[in-house]
Amino acid sequence: MHMATTLTINGETKSFDAPPDMPLLWVLRDILGMTGTKFGCGIAQCGACTVHVDGKAVRSCVLPVSAVSNRTVTTIEHVGSTPAGAKVQKAWLEAEVIQCGYCQSGQIMAAAALLAATPHPDDSDIDAAMAGNICRCGTYVRIREAIKQAANGRQS
Amino acid sequence: MSGKMRIFTGIVVIAIVAIGIGVFVIRGPGPLDFAGGTKVALVDYRAGKPTGVPAKLEKAGLVERGEYLAKAADCMVCHTKPGEKDYSGGLAFKLPFGTLYSTNITPDKDTGIGNYSDRDFLNAVQHGKRRDGARLYPAMPYTSYTFMTGEDVLAVKAYLFSLPAVRAKAPDNTLSFPFNQRWAMIVWSAVFNPDTRFAPDTSKSPEWNRGAYLAEALAHCGECHTPRNLGFALDNRRKFAGAITAGWRAFNISSDKATGLGSWSDQDLISYLSVGHAPGHGSASGPMGEAVDHSFSQFAPEDIRSIVAYLRSVPAVPSPDLPATTAPVAPASHRDGVTADARGKMLFAGACASCHGWSGESPVSPMATLTGTWAVNDPAATNVAQIVISGTKRHTPEGALSMPAFGNAYTDDEIAAVANYVTARFGTKGSKLTAKDVAELRGQTAD
Repeated sequence: MHMATTLTINGETKSFDAPPDMPLLWVLRDILGMTGTKFGCGIAQCGACTVHVDGKAVRSCVLPVSAVSNRTVTTIEHVGSTPAGAKVQKAWLEAEVIQCGYCQSGQIMAAAALLAATPHPDDSDIDAAMAGNICRCGTYVRIREAIKQAANGRQS
Repeated sequence: MSGKMRIFTGIVVIAIVAIGIGVFVIRGPGPLDFAGGTKVALVDYRAGKPTGVPAKLEKAGLVERGEYLAKAADCMVCHTKPGEKDYSGGLAFKLPFGTLYSTNITPDKDTGIGNYSDRDFLNAVQHGKRRDGARLYPAMPYTSYTFMTGEDVLAVKAYLFSLPAVRAKAPDNTLSFPFNQRWAMIVWSAVFNPDTRFAPDTSKSPEWNRGAYLAEALAHCGECHTPRNLGFALDNRRKFAGAITAGWRAFNISSDKATGLGSWSDQDLISYLSVGHAPGHGSASGPMGEAVDHSFSQFAPEDIRSIVAYLRSVPAVPSPDLPATTAPVAPASHRDGVTADARGKMLFAGACASCHGWSGESPVSPMATLTGTWAVNDPAATNVAQIVISGTKRHTPEGALSMPAFGNAYTDDEIAAVANYVTARFGTKGSKLTAKDVAELRGQTAD
């Protein structure tokens, strides 16, 4: 069963037909063509698909589209226009965090949500917010460093 | 009579009386005795029709009526091994004294019930007697189904016989002595099977009577939610007070305000039964999740309301091991609240926090909210551990939402740590599960 759905994504109103139980990730990638958000595990265990729903980091692979109809979605395509997202992306480039890059849109979304809620996180805050975002290249050390740079505005 | 003979006779009489009293005490009241009103035979009841199908199916054919009743009796869940054909049996019930396998109830003549006459089928469902005369073990809830009318039982049979025959032989049971002695079930059945049909209570409303029939004869709520006595039969002195079944805790569904359903609104109960979730009360998982998916979600709305009306009348029995109130929302920051178990916290951060949040209120869906659920407020953490092990999936009109199974990803030690952290952070009292406890819980679930 398909149904007409309207969502606010990245500040724009998008209308499309989708089954109500289709995960938001499928809508983003396959229907709306926004492929910046990645599919990793499909069971909310790797973090590659992280987006913001009402400003909070959420795994879009397990989130039925029917559950976000009245909420605001932000994806990696737009996070640079939020203050925290802009800081994170700048620090990410400066620290050269990325290796293969597959997990990185999820890492950036999780880090931006962390900084929006906790502007000056310490290591335990970073652990609590980022532990669910897995990086097979092992860029964790640079991720941690970049989050601190973004928070403190200093150059390494 | 000689002196010796008199003494012998006296001893025999005393023994018989003692056994009689023992049986009476162990057996206790029947499932509907609490109501206390005037019972009449079904044929003499004029106020309503507590048995059969709901009004919308009154004119339906026998098979369709049977399908509704088979779903209401939830035959399928126990008579289907996951991944196998519906009703083809083979599900393993792991008991402390061995494993029982459910039987194939498709109409296959060799391995199913294809040769069962109406009388054979009634004997099995109402009396616990197999076609070959052997007795059924009470894992088959015939002490509940015995309250079904013959007409309803035979409608279920017509439905089962309309299904494709599946050739599938269940493995042999592996019960240890003395439990492997099937003949002993003749005695068990004589003591514990009320072997009587549902009798309406004229002091109660027609809605209550319909609810009583559905809950007791068909849905067999008590089989999981009522504690068992020394004879492994239902102890209706503590009716619906909650029990552990197949490694999961079936919580208190008596009308107790603190630990039962007494403070649930009608809408909460209707929602929980029909979609498996009620805001602030969590989501049905494990065996109750299956009962919702395959049985309650298929009920007519008026039948759900009848069950709710009936549940309301069951006397309050408290669960002393549960807190009087569930814990409030946990702090939004990981820093605040319980942080004692560093390992549990690390696991929670990596595997759980993205859906359940640090506060317990899920950013994903109210169905994944932990706050207010009995699972996290149970200091034994039984269901928390089981849900972590086997995951859960809820189907709703808006779509499905699932939690993955972590049983193969995490060790017993890790599952114990995360369950202890979750109950401490989101419940009233942290659990003290050990790896050994988790291993035991893994061993008890049906598969």
